[in-house]
Parts: sequence; structure tokens; C-alpha cells
Amino acid sequence: MFQKFYDLLIAGGAWLTILEGLWATVQISFFALVLGTLLGAEVCAMRRSKHKILKIPASIYIAVLRGSPVLMLLMLFYYVVFAKTDMDALVVAIITFGLNTAAYIAELMRSALDATDKGQVEAMRTLGFSGFAAFRYVTLPQAAEIAKPVYQSTIINLIQWTSVVGYVTITDLTRVINNISARTMQPLFMIIVGMIIYLGLSYLVTGIFALSDRIKKRKAGAKK
Amino acid sequence: MSLIEVKGLCKSFGNLEVLKDVSFTVDEGEVVVIIGGSGCGKSVTLRSIELLEKPDKGQIFINGREITAKGADIDSIRREMGMVYQSFNLFSHMNIEENMILAPTRLLKMPREEAVAKAKDLLKQVGLLDKLHAMPQNLSGGQKQRVAIARCLMMEPKIMLFDEPTSALDPTMVGEVLATMRMLAKKGMTMIIVTHEMNFAKEIGSRIMFLADKGVYEQGTPAEIFDNPRKEKTIAFIKKLKFISMHIESRDFDLMELHGNITTFGERYGLGSKAAYRLQLCAEELIYEMFKCAEDEIDTDLSIEYSESEKCIRLNIDAKGKEYNPFALSEDDEPMGVMIVKRTSQNYSHSYVSGTNKISVEI
Repeated sequence: MFQKFYDLLIAGGAWLTILEGLWATVQISFFALVLGTLLGAEVCAMRRSKHKILKIPASIYIAVLRGSPVLMLLMLFYYVVFAKTDMDALVVAIITFGLNTAAYIAELMRSALDATDKGQVEAMRTLGFSGFAAFRYVTLPQAAEIAKPVYQSTIINLIQWTSVVGYVTITDLTRVINNISARTMQPLFMIIVGMIIYLGLSYLVTGIFALSDRIKKRKAGAKK
Repeated sequence: MSLIEVKGLCKSFGNLEVLKDVSFTVDEGEVVVIIGGSGCGKSVTLRSIELLEKPDKGQIFINGREITAKGADIDSIRREMGMVYQSFNLFSHMNIEENMILAPTRLLKMPREEAVAKAKDLLKQVGLLDKLHAMPQNLSGGQKQRVAIARCLMMEPKIMLFDEPTSALDPTMVGEVLATMRMLAKKGMTMIIVTHEMNFAKEIGSRIMFLADKGVYEQGTPAEIFDNPRKEKTIAFIKKLKFISMHIESRDFDLMELHGNITTFGERYGLGSKAAYRLQLCAEELIYEMFKCAEDEIDTDLSIEYSESEKCIRLNIDAKGKEYNPFALSEDDEPMGVMIVKRTSQNYSHSYVSGTNKISVEI
């Protein structure tokens, strides 16, 4: 077992290739998440707007992006929209996954904001706070707390969906695993290794959220 | 000059007109209690003063400044008022201390230490100093409402508005909140209170405003409104507080409504659940018993009143039909229901006057 591990991953320097693939996966996931969160907030604001000019495009955006497979969107962007530009495939992937995640994040933000207590906002307003201050001090922190678990699973979903970027020539973690297993004729072993790495990524995300919860609790405790 | 002046306030929700041309003023130190049936616009009136509802027409002046004016500095006018809600509305992600100091530190730039000292002082006054670091969800309803009142006082408002402050509370916790409000009234705070606690209204109010017909229907001192109402709807409303009356025309009458009314009636007079239960039992048994005397149509009137001086509840049933005295049956024929009534009541009597069986039971 250890021999196999050594032969396949260490001896030929395969672990370095795996690391490179992992790095691509992490890059795409991270930047797509940042883009998706920022864009998602915009879309959410539009979706919640009273004006139809903003509301309808946002609804259509959410419906289309959530309703179509992200791989289709990726192929559309890579082979059609950005085909003539010399844009790096990695950037195309980041844009694609960013746009896709934005639709999900817009919806999760909307449901979290809708779930907050309007009475507390009224209390803020009657104390003399502006609407923005009420949002900043009451609605936002409470909505963030509500959205946290769903946001966490959105991130994990995003990471796993990036495994399709191999279709557009990116050598991400999945692609690397695939290449090595083809070369060494050891698919079972390599796929298990790949799955363990993805699992590790998911646990990392879960761990970060758990840690932030713990820090928050400690802070609240320290005040006492 | 009056502290609050409402001029020609109109408000509709869709096609439903709630307030029509409402005008009134509130002077400094007054405690105005707004009463009225449900949906009469009590809360809307109060919320309009804070501009939580935007009036369709009319002007509202707070301490001389018009809050309804275009371009008015609403946030600054609102700082003159404190509002207490039925649902408390404490900020659920902050502890009590943070709840209380948020407004003064952010809006008045009060130093944190000073704000905390003030919060402690106010919490002490409402008896909750030990809850300074508790989270709102760990407080009882009554405690939450007292904190909500104290939180308003942090901003030193000139006016306090109370929107059914005890309606969401367990009956056992109503007292502590009312006590806090009483303390405020004693200090000369100008207050407008929307409440269903009529005894409290009578006691604390310097003026009672009865809302009906989309506006202020009748207003006056508590004695004028509660003991000597002059206008028709006020009389009916006040009467309903003191009596339960029900007209029964069918065997399938709304028994649940009667039970509900008796429960509320019992709570209002502090009769205790046992007495209320006995009352429900007697009323139900007697109504069914008296169906026996009906000839073809059922025509029964039931009324319940509480005499505070004699400390007894009187239940009267007038049933039209042939003469029938449920209390004069021989022991063998006596139905179960009548036995129950005899056991639970102190006095019972029956008389037959011009085609009506009059039953009176004291409990």
C-alpha cells in the first residue's frame, strides 16, 4: 500500500502535478466565489427593488443561470463568447462560475433578508436611525447569520462543480487525477486519492465556518 | 403649545379607509389612552405619528416640527419620541447593554462609558440591572418589554408611544410592564397608549380617546368615557366590557365563541380559571337544558355580569317558550346538567313571565 503510494505519487513527482491541479481548482473556486458574492449582492438588491426595470432583469438572470447546467455556460463562454479573444481559460472559468454562483447567492441573500424581523428595523427607525443605519446595524448582521449555513454549502457545491473545467483545457485537480490514472493504469487508486483531496477541501471550508462561529462566541463571552 | 398636533389625518389601505380626517392634540404631561374595537385604526394612528405609516393626507406636528412635511428631517424628529411595540423588537443579535447604548452612542455621540452608566441606571429603575449582559432571547416577555421601554428612555424622549405593549404577554407578566408605565406617568412623561387593558386605561389615562367610524368618536376623562359614555357606539363598547350577552336562535349556536368570551371575561376580572370554567359549564348546561321549553323556534338570551361590590357573577338566561322550571324536577328525573348547575352555583331561581322562562344563577 505504502509502496504503491510512493510509486504512484512521490517517485515520479506526480504529487507536484497534483498540487498544480489543486491550485487551479482553488483559484477558480476562490475568485468565482468573490465575484459571485459581489455580483450576487447586486442581483439581490435589484431583485428586491420596487422598480420593475431592475426587478425583472434580475429575476430572469436568476432563472436562467440557475436553470441551465454550468458546463453549458462554460462551453458557451469558452467556445463562443470569448473564443476570439485570447483570454486565458482559467479566467473564462472564473467568470463562468462567478456568474453561476451569483444567481445562487442572490437567492440565498434574498431569502435571508426576507427572514429578518421587520419590527427590529422599525425600532431602529423610531430611535432615530436612518434606513441605511438600520440595515447596517440590524438587518445585515442578522441576515448574515441566517445565510451562513446555506452560503457554506454553496461554496462546497461550487468547488465540486469546478471539476468540469477540464472540458475547456484547464488542468485542474480532476484533470490531473484523470491524466495520472490513465498514464499509470491505476484508476481506482488515483480516483480515491482525488476524492480524498476534494473531501479535504470541503472539510476545510466547514472548518473555517466553524472557527468563525467559535471566535464569535468567544467574543460574546468575553464581553460578559 | 401642544406637543403633538394631528390635523386632518387620512389613511387608507387599498380600498379600505381606516382614518378619515382625524384631528387631535396632545399636551405636555398628558397620558392619552386610545381604545376601540379591533381594526378601528388605533395602531395606525399611533404609527402615523411616528410616520411608520405614511398618511394619505393631513399634517402631524411633533413639538412644533412637521414630520409629514416634504424634506423634513424625520430621523431627528423621531428622536423626540420613543416607541414601544407589542412584539418588543429588541435587537436579537445584541445583548441588553448593546441594545441600550446603540442609539445614544451612534446618534448622540455619547461616550461609551457614559452610555453604559446611563443604561445601568435605567435598568435599575425597571428592576433588570442583573440582565445587563443577557441576550434578549433569554428574557421573559415582561422583561423584554421593560428593556424596550428603558431603551427608548436612553434617548430622553419627550413623548412615549405604546402600541399594545402588553398584548403579547402572558397574563402573569402584564403587571410588571404596567408598573413600569405607571412609573413613567408619575414622572410626568407625555404618553399615548393603545391598549386593551381597560382597568389600566381608566387608572392611568388623563384622557381617553375612543376610536370608531374612522376617527375619534368620543373623548374625555376616564370617568366620562367609562362611567358615563354619551354616544351610542361608546356606550355599546363600554357595555360589552362589563357584560357578556348572547342571543341564541339555533341549536347550533357558536358555543366556542361563548367559551372564549367567558375566558376573556374571567381574565379581565381576575376570576381565576376555576371560576371561569364553572361559569362556562353552567352556561352551557343551562342553554341546552332550556332548549326543552322551546316550542318551534329557539329564542334565548344569555347575559353574564360581574358585580364587583358583591363579588359574584350573575348568569341570566331568558328563554321563550312554554313554562319549564329545570330546578323543580324530582330528583330521579333531574338531568345531569341541572345537577351540575345546582352543585356549582350559590343561588338559582326560575320565574315565568309572559311566555319567557327567566333563569338566574349566581356563582
